[in-house]
Formats: sequence, C-alpha cells, structure tokens
Amino acid sequence: MTEIINMTVNGIKHKIACTGKESLLEILREHLGLTGAKEGCGYGVCGSCTVIVNGEAVTSCTLRGKDKLEGIEVLTIEGLAEKNGELHPIQKSFLEAGAVQCGFCTPGIIMRLYGLLTKNPNAPEEEIREALSKHLCRCTGYEAIWEAALLAQKRITISS
Amino acid sequence: MSFKYIGKSFEKTDGYSKVTGMAQFVADIKLPRMLHAQVLRPKFAHALIKSIDTLEAEKSEGVYKVVTGQGCEIFFGACGFLDQNPIAVDKVRHTGEPVAVVIADTVQHAKKALSKIDVEYEPLPVLLDPVEAAHNKDVLIHQKLGEYPHLPSYFPQPGTNIFHHYRLRKGDMKKGLKETDFIVEGEFEFPLSAHSALEPHSVICRWEGKDRVEIWATSQAPFVLQQVIADMFKLPHSNVRVHIPYLGGGFGGKSDVTIEPMLVYAAKFLPGYAIKFVCSRKEVMTSTVLGRGMKAQAKLGAKKDGTFTVFQAELYFSDGAFGDTATNIVTVAGHNSVGPYSIDNCHVDSYGVYTNTPPVGAYRGYGHPEGNFISERLVELMAKKLKMSPSELRRKNFLCEGKKNSLGETIRDYNGNLFKCLENVEKELFFELKPKEDDKYIYGRGIAAMMKSPKGAANAASCCQIKFCADGSIQVNLSGVDMGQGAQQAMRQIAAEYLKIPMERISIFREIDTQHSPWEWQTVASMFTYRGGNAIVKTAEKAIKILKKNAAPILKFGIDSLEYDGEFVYVKTDPDKRIAVKNLVRGYMYENGLTVGEVAEATAGDRLPGYTDPDPKFGMGSAGGTWTFGCQGCELKIDKKTGEVIIDKFISSFDVGKVISPRMIRGQIVGGVVMGIGQTLKEKIKFSEDGKITNATWVKYKIPRINDVPRKQVVICVETPEIRGPYGARCIAEHPMVAVSSSILNALFDATGHNFFHIPVTSEDVLKVIGGKA
Repeated sequence: MTEIINMTVNGIKHKIACTGKESLLEILREHLGLTGAKEGCGYGVCGSCTVIVNGEAVTSCTLRGKDKLEGIEVLTIEGLAEKNGELHPIQKSFLEAGAVQCGFCTPGIIMRLYGLLTKNPNAPEEEIREALSKHLCRCTGYEAIWEAALLAQKRITISS
Repeated sequence: MSFKYIGKSFEKTDGYSKVTGMAQFVADIKLPRMLHAQVLRPKFAHALIKSIDTLEAEKSEGVYKVVTGQGCEIFFGACGFLDQNPIAVDKVRHTGEPVAVVIADTVQHAKKALSKIDVEYEPLPVLLDPVEAAHNKDVLIHQKLGEYPHLPSYFPQPGTNIFHHYRLRKGDMKKGLKETDFIVEGEFEFPLSAHSALEPHSVICRWEGKDRVEIWATSQAPFVLQQVIADMFKLPHSNVRVHIPYLGGGFGGKSDVTIEPMLVYAAKFLPGYAIKFVCSRKEVMTSTVLGRGMKAQAKLGAKKDGTFTVFQAELYFSDGAFGDTATNIVTVAGHNSVGPYSIDNCHVDSYGVYTNTPPVGAYRGYGHPEGNFISERLVELMAKKLKMSPSELRRKNFLCEGKKNSLGETIRDYNGNLFKCLENVEKELFFELKPKEDDKYIYGRGIAAMMKSPKGAANAASCCQIKFCADGSIQVNLSGVDMGQGAQQAMRQIAAEYLKIPMERISIFREIDTQHSPWEWQTVASMFTYRGGNAIVKTAEKAIKILKKNAAPILKFGIDSLEYDGEFVYVKTDPDKRIAVKNLVRGYMYENGLTVGEVAEATAGDRLPGYTDPDPKFGMGSAGGTWTFGCQGCELKIDKKTGEVIIDKFISSFDVGKVISPRMIRGQIVGGVVMGIGQTLKEKIKFSEDGKITNATWVKYKIPRINDVPRKQVVICVETPEIRGPYGARCIAEHPMVAVSSSILNALFDATGHNFFHIPVTSEDVLKVIGGKA
C-alpha cells in the first residue's frame, strides 16, 4: 500500500509516496536524494544520520511511521549553508579546526551542534559535551571536533 | 631551508564537500537499473551444507535472482593465499559467511526473501581458541590446506589448522642463554577487535556482458581489488574497472578484499544491472574482517648490567575461517615482538591458525601493537627485576646507528632517534611529581617505546601523473585513497612546494578510477605520504624538464642554463629572457600557429628500494625497509570505588622525519591514541561457545566517545630527516596506536603493582586487583 507523507525539507514542500514504513533517513536518502545524512549503525547510537526535525536534532534512522513524519519540517546538512554556497559558522569552524577527517560522521555532528546552538547560543560546555557524546567518530579522537564546537559557539555568539 | 607549504597547516582540499554533505560515498550512489542484494548467513559457525532450497525465495516479490555457492570452483586471495570461495560452497566456517545472495528490486524485498531460503546443515565441532585449534588434528577447518596456491613466503602445515608458520632464528640461543643472568616471562592475550570505521563496507557491481565489469567499492586497495576480481573470472585485468569515491574511514579494514568477490560473483548472473550491497553494522563486524586476536608466551633474558641477551616467543593468532588476509600480520607480529631493541639471539615462532571466527585482516598497526604488547611488558618486568629504571633499560638496548634489528637489518641515524622520543615523553611525564594516592584515586605512570616498518608486496609502488592546464594551473593525479588521513591535502602541499605554484592552482585527484588513475599498490602500511610524495617529486621533475625543453630553442639556451619558478622558464644568467609557463604547456606556439615541442604531461613512480620478504630459513632479511620510531607514555588514575581507569595525560613522540602539516599529523596521532585507549580498556569481540558473536553492535561493542578521551594529549614530533622521504618525511599514521596498550598497562603496573598481560583491562579487572586497597 502506498502512503503519502507531507513534509518540508530544507524549505521545500514534498509529498513523499512510500510504504509508510521507511525511516526518515531512508526518505531523505532514497526518495529525495539527500545523502548528506549517513547510516553508520541503523539504531541511533552513532549519530551520523542526525538532522533537525521541528527545531530538534534527532537521529533520522530511528524516526519512522506516518504519525511521526507527517507535516514535519526538516533541515539537513544540504540546507545549512547559504544558497550562494557561503558556509554556516559551524561548517566554517569544522574546516578551520581541522575537525574533518573521513567526513562520514561530520554532517551529523554539525547538525547536532546546529540544533543546540540555535536554541541556546550560550550553551555551557557541559551541554556541548553532552550533545557531542551522542556521536561516534573513529578518526579524530574528538579533540578537533571539540575545538570546532567551541569556535562555532564563539562565532555564533559574536555575530548575534 | 624555508618552505612555503611544507610544515604548515591549511584547510583540507576535501573539506568543503565533507561539511556540506556533498562528498559522495559508495552507499550514496544511485545508478540506472539498480538492484539490491542481501545475504543469508549461516546458523552455525562450522557445518557442512547438506542442501539449499531457494525455490520459495525465488518466487518472492521483487526477487530477480538467488545465488548460492553450488558449483562454484573459484578461490581467491588478496594477499597471495587462495583459500576462500566468494560464497560458501559445501561448508561454512564462521557465522558471518555468505551462504546465499538474494538480488531484488528493493532492500526490503531482498530481506524478505532471505527467510524463505531453506538450508540443511550438518554441524561440526567449533574451534575458537588459536592454541587449541593449532594442536587439534581431528577437527580441520580446511581439509585442502595443502592444495591452496600461495606465495613462497607463506608456510602452511597441511593436516593441521596452521595456515602459516613464521620462524625467526637469529644468532645462537644456547650461547645467549649462557650469558644470561635474568629471565622474565609472560603469557599474553590480545583479543579480536573491530575496526569500526563509521562508514559500513559497501559495493556496487555492474557486469557488461561476460568479460567486463565495473565496481564501486569502499576500498583502500582499488588495484588489488581489480587484480583479484580479474583473476577470479580469468579476465584481462584491464577489463575490470574499479571506482573509489570518498571513503569513510579504513584503518586497514577496507584494505583487504572482503564482500566484493561475493557480490561480483552474484552479479555475474544478472549482467547489465547495477547491483548494490551495503553491510549492516552487524555484518561489518561478522562478515568483513576483524583485527588482532593473539595468544602468546614470551621470554626476555638480560645480563646483570641490563644488556638484553635472548628473546624467545611463541605467538598464536586466531585468524578465523580464512588465512589469506592474516598471513603477513603473523610474520610482522613475529619479528616485531622483539621490540625496538638490539637483541643478538632471537627465537620466535608465530602461527596463523584457522578458527571458526571471522577472518582477521589488516588493522591499524598490522601486527605491531600485538608484538609491542609483548616486548614492552617484558621490558617493564625486566627493569623491576634488575632494579633499574625502565627508561634506562630501554636506552641501554635501543636500536640506533650501527645496531641490528631482529631481521638483521642495520639501523642508521637517518632511520630516526628513539632517544629523543623517549626524552620528550619523560620530560612531559615527569616534570611534576606523581600525585600520591588519595581517598579517591590511585595514580600511575607508564612509558612504552615502539617501532614500525611497513609490510607490503616487495614491488609495492605509488605512481603520479601531472598535467599542466592551458593557464599553467596543474592537475595532480595519484591513487592513494584518502580515508580521512588527509592524503589529498598532503599531496597538494608537496606538489605546490615542488612545482612552486600557489596551492590554489593545484587540483589534486578526488576519486580513484582504475581506468584513469595511475597505479598504486594500495593505501596501507602508512606509506602513502612517503611513496606518493616521492612520486610527485619525480613526476614534477619530468614535467619541468619538458617545459625547459620546449623553451630552450626559443630562448636559444640549453636546458641546463634555464630555470623554472612556477610562472616562467627563464635564463639563469639573464632572468629577463623568459617565457610564461602557460605558453609552454602544450608546446610553444609561434605567431603563425606553428607549434613545436612536447605537451607538458608526465608520469613517474616510487618504490622502496631493496625491499624483500624474509628468507624462509631464518626469517630475516630486508623486510623492514624503512622505520618510524617513537615513544608513548601516560599518567592515569584509578577510581578506587569503581575501578575505572581515567587517562589524565597521554604523550606521544614520534620521529616523523619532517612534518608536512602540523594539524593533520596531530589529528592522526590524537585519533590513533584514542583508538588505542578503546582497545586497551573496552574493546573485545566476544563469542558464544558455538561461535556466534554476542556483541556485534555498537550498543554492546563500545568504541570511545568524547567522554572517554584523555584530559590532555601531548604530541611532540622529532624531525630527523629520512634519507629518501619527500622533504625528509617518514611514515606516520598507524603508529600512534602501536604502544598505547603497553603504555597504559605499564602505568597500571606502576599504580597497582599488578602486571596485566591481557586487554581489555576492564574496571572489574582493576577492582579485583585493588580490592584490598579501596
């Protein structure tokens, strides 16, 4: 049976024809061609699939069903930079701090920080650490990611 | 010498695409006529396949084909030991093996059909322990071990489960023992572990008729994959095209050929379709390769003054159902268990043993962490016995100018300086007094020294192509896979430095395609910056020479009188006589269009000279080739209530020859140390008695998160130029993981007085030891 799910992704309205059993991650990747969110585990412990849903950072691989997805507003890594390609301060900070190695975990971590710092630009360090602890990275040892997060916060608070 | 690009940190060339989600990994690729594969895995770790019924599955919705191993006579091996079928034929040897492949229009339909396949098994006894399996002649995991084709450097023992026996026989043990005053010994256990790169292994395969095939793979080794697949199907190598887009971490786990032969075999039944298979996280752990897996006993002897006299070890590796990808690890762990010391008399037996577990493949360090674990724990024990400081004992025996390593190779000054590395670690570790035990914590400090050399095919090389564009900007093409280590950026800096043009005007290869990319053996052994960098230098020399040749007749000077500065070719003695590079790159064109000279494109390669396999009798020879030496150390505290080990400070000092990018080198080292901490305190693949992995998820198999990292990491690079590395650079990538476990266990010894000889050392293990102290 085909279900129609309505959602707004990166500002564009979509009617998704699907079985209704797909996760948000599958819809983004397979139906909309937005492959920036990655599947590292499939059960929400690595954080690579993190996107913003109605203002909150969530693991898109664990979010499924029409009741959960109907009418949601989604922001993915593809929608984060300006339309002219100018990067968001968090993206810039990741490049500047050398926080990107293989890049597979990067979109998820950036979206997690976006979720946190949009709601609370002055989030204390413990909250930033707590947010990052939901993510796995096997390359960096987290040091540069931590620096990038603090740098991003600085950039965001100064510009606001 | 001052550099413009070498030794400086820049934004990475692949950074923008990675922070915007543009970087395309294999799982992101969609192709026309795409189908999806799912794989049936066995219920038993060791069983005969009596029958497979696929009729119901074939009728299932959306299914195009169900492929089994029935009738398959193909064997493959990526490392020169052909002991594996692409899909189980008449027997299964571990629970992650492929038994049947379902190809359907969607992943869901393929999954659904799996449950409709009926397999009848006859279970066999399961062997998990390498020592037991090595001595069990009744249960053979491979009956035809003696028939498998293999390289001459592997020594299988038919009629047993030992598929490779490496022997090191150096010096005269009897004589050495006579000179020995003290002996220390230990039994060591290094568990199987999972690389856990974030990106799961994935592959897409499309056959064009019967004799051409195209593959998109998550591989560090596109050209090895090309060769293995071509040989499997008796195709010209040139008819196999392998694409490597972005790679989401490797750590060696993607250097060995794993899921590709299975999928290419299955896809052959559906030519014209692009068939995709992405491993689940569980399958990455059960059905690709694992790392490590060693049990060993070893002895070290010394004179009263601390001079090491003898080293004896026996190592057994639980290398899983297939031996191919573990053969060289067995060898390397064997001759590296001696440590970075000069010991005249060594007697080592290292056994690669079949067990009913997933095969073991390359994993960051490649036998060195296992070997280092032995040598560095024994040195610590010996220091205690001799009542000497461990550092003093290490210094007394360190490899240095003129000394011979376990392979009999003579170490030279330009191979690096262990003394400086140790001094750096000591200064950082001991500049304050160690905190005294308090109500909450016990404190400990430990150091370990290390060395690592590559292990590769003796003909391993890196090649480079350089193309000048019409405006004088440059395209540099290599085939070193960037899996996050920063290969592309390092190459861009080396190219910019040597070609003297701004980095922004150098476009470095992004994806690898065996059809267009120059040959590279594979991106392993931490060799790419070294070999690829050299290849750039050699190629750039050729390209510059073409520009000069093109300019010579116009400027009316011989090429030896000409100089190149990135923008112009000019006369050395009269710099105003010059021609812009952009006017030389396609030959020189006169006003009337007449063009003379050559197109400025060049290619060249680099290989380690004089590199060989160890000789069969003594296990010695020029098998190291180049070394990176280093020391690591840590200060830790133990929570007396919980037994938790908290690393306060971790120090690494490696002699890297020359730093290409300070930020990238720190990224490699800091990341490698955290991986090593996970290995030491948490990670272990666990099996039930019948051979099933009981923790094949990231919920149960816990890799480090941000809260598990050391409070502080110190990285100090020593720069003794390597004699033939690019700008003096030496290999550094796997190295930070080599001595982490031994450093931590030495620190735990300092803290508790207890010697652990196994990892992971869990909080429970520590609590048992300090029980009385809390």
